[in-house]
Amino acid sequence: MRIAFRPTAALISLSLAAAALAGCSEQAAGDGDPAAAGACKPADVKLVGQVRNESNPYEASWLAGGDAFAKSVGLTQQRLTYGGDSTKQQEQISQILAGDTKCLVMNVLPNGDSDTAPIVKGADKAGAFLVTQWNKPADLNPADYKTWISHITYNGVESGKQIGDALAKSIGGSGGIIALQGVLDTAAAKDRFAGLQASLKENSGVQLLDQQTANFSRAEALTVTKTLLTKHGDKVKGIWAANDDMALGALEALQQAGRAGKVAVVGIDAVPDAVTAVQSGAMTATVSSDGTWQGGIGLAIGFCVATGKLEVKDIAADNRAFFAEQFLITKDNAADFAQPKTNPSDFDCANVFKRVAGPLK
Amino acid sequence: MTVESGAAVPRRNSRRGTAFRDAGPPVALVVIFSVFAVLSPQFRSIDNVQNIVDAAAVLAVVTCGITFVLMMGSIDLSAAGVMGASALTVSLLVANNRNDNDFGLVGIAAAVVLGCAFGCLSGLALVLLKVPSFMATLGVSAIGLGVATLMFAGVQPNISDAMLKSWAIERFLGLSYLTWIAAACILLGWLVQRYTRLGRYAFAIGGAEEVLTLSGVKVKPYKVAVFTLAGAFYGLGGVMVTSQLGAGLVQAGNGYDFSAITAAVVGGTLLTGGRGGILHSAVGVVLVMVLTNGLVQVGVSPYWQGGVEGLIVVAAVAAAVIPQRRRNQVVK
Repeated sequence: MRIAFRPTAALISLSLAAAALAGCSEQAAGDGDPAAAGACKPADVKLVGQVRNESNPYEASWLAGGDAFAKSVGLTQQRLTYGGDSTKQQEQISQILAGDTKCLVMNVLPNGDSDTAPIVKGADKAGAFLVTQWNKPADLNPADYKTWISHITYNGVESGKQIGDALAKSIGGSGGIIALQGVLDTAAAKDRFAGLQASLKENSGVQLLDQQTANFSRAEALTVTKTLLTKHGDKVKGIWAANDDMALGALEALQQAGRAGKVAVVGIDAVPDAVTAVQSGAMTATVSSDGTWQGGIGLAIGFCVATGKLEVKDIAADNRAFFAEQFLITKDNAADFAQPKTNPSDFDCANVFKRVAGPLK
Repeated sequence: MTVESGAAVPRRNSRRGTAFRDAGPPVALVVIFSVFAVLSPQFRSIDNVQNIVDAAAVLAVVTCGITFVLMMGSIDLSAAGVMGASALTVSLLVANNRNDNDFGLVGIAAAVVLGCAFGCLSGLALVLLKVPSFMATLGVSAIGLGVATLMFAGVQPNISDAMLKSWAIERFLGLSYLTWIAAACILLGWLVQRYTRLGRYAFAIGGAEEVLTLSGVKVKPYKVAVFTLAGAFYGLGGVMVTSQLGAGLVQAGNGYDFSAITAAVVGGTLLTGGRGGILHSAVGVVLVMVLTNGLVQVGVSPYWQGGVEGLIVVAAVAAAVIPQRRRNQVVK
């Protein structure tokens, strides 16, 4: 009995302590919000970057960008990864929020639209400064919250159209193309494909021979492309892929079919291998959202607000939820993107909203 | 063929039950192939048949591994993780853009041995720690993915090893080297299943483990050996994916665990064990590949494909196992 009692007591006292701590921090945040916002010394700020996993180059570069920003202000970034598991993401967030949240800054990639609401509510209650990226439901707006500073995302219709136009140009404005779609029920896949369709409308000489999904996967793209190449033969002049992984899979398929260099390939995301391929001419174009910038900017915006250099109420409504600028990479400018790097001046409090391309509608 | 069977009637008679049971999947394959061939002229082109066989190579190797485990009545979900780890291992050991290694065949062998080690781990967890194979292999898959992520370290290793790259590109008699490797694996798997104690006992464990134990056979070492053998196949599968994609991906084995189980079951290997085998699974693999390829060739919308494919798989399995339905109680 006695042995059983001790852990119970420990548990109770621990949870009491946690409750007390949580109470304190809530109080601190609620005390006087403007004062609390500006009160943080730069050294007291805690930076957290959270992405799905580190096993893909894009999210790895995101965390690297966060580290670069943290280093520039003499701090370190706490790196969190949740393996694409929504439950795990929520657990990590609650754990972080259960600690000291007074000067906490979080730059979060929610797993899906529905995961954003609990993260936002938790952070708002705890008074932690939050920037989210990519996923949020349309009816949830940072403007309605005090510490959810911004939501950043990219216009998929625009990037889909950009590479569609680049592809049309490289095949001389006429000929057949095939499209590799992403996971069909994701907003990214839908928007990017809508962009291709917009591009096809303008380039009437280009004909969409076939469209298939390869679920954003390099391996699936390889198989699907091989099948489509046997189906349409030499009519295929170009391949439009909704992300670079699929574009790279399509390149392998072309090589195995002995048609490397004869078919133009475009993708989106600017993963390092794709940028190299664009540089060497194997690929025609890709679009960069600049993952290192994304990793840094969320922390930078939060840091500026936490240290009082920016006031949430002074941030223009259009900057609370916005499409960020993205860059079409072709052979001409590929060298500039070959080495992912951050520009410290991007993260100056005066410049953090420099890349706003338009408000999120 | 007909003349021969006429002559062999007396001997065949006793085995007619087995022959009837085994005929289901090949018949389904012929039917599905014919339907697509009628619907699409591109589908029946030589190019496309080569394409189907080439595309089946990796799945065939992985299915070889999983078949032994299924025959034993266990299940194996470790393929995805083991393939990821082996893909990263081989891509870092052969000539690549991350380091100066250039071990060639030794690197490939190392990746296969790593697969063996993971398989052995699953087997040991099963027999020593009494973890159900479902959980043990799921755990090993997670370990494999973890190891792969550590080796990945943020930068994708691209392979420049001429030999490994040539496996996917060079052809012999119209088929890629990978396809011949897969054919060799099927042959090897069949020989192990047919002529070695390991293969025989795997069958017997799935059929009636108690009987085997009562007759004094120590089954535990054989169970570990079967998982180890399966791991070797997954390791090789990871190497083959790396050859195809030209890069080591953590996600190299994504989806192969369930595709392989599907292929094995479609081919007539029972999840309860004791029936089926390598050749059955090979038929299942081709059937699955014909299906995915055919749906694209006849132009089924991608929004419909997943559903249609699932429907046909269920129908094919149902048709194949009706004669043996009493035994197909996976989850009662």
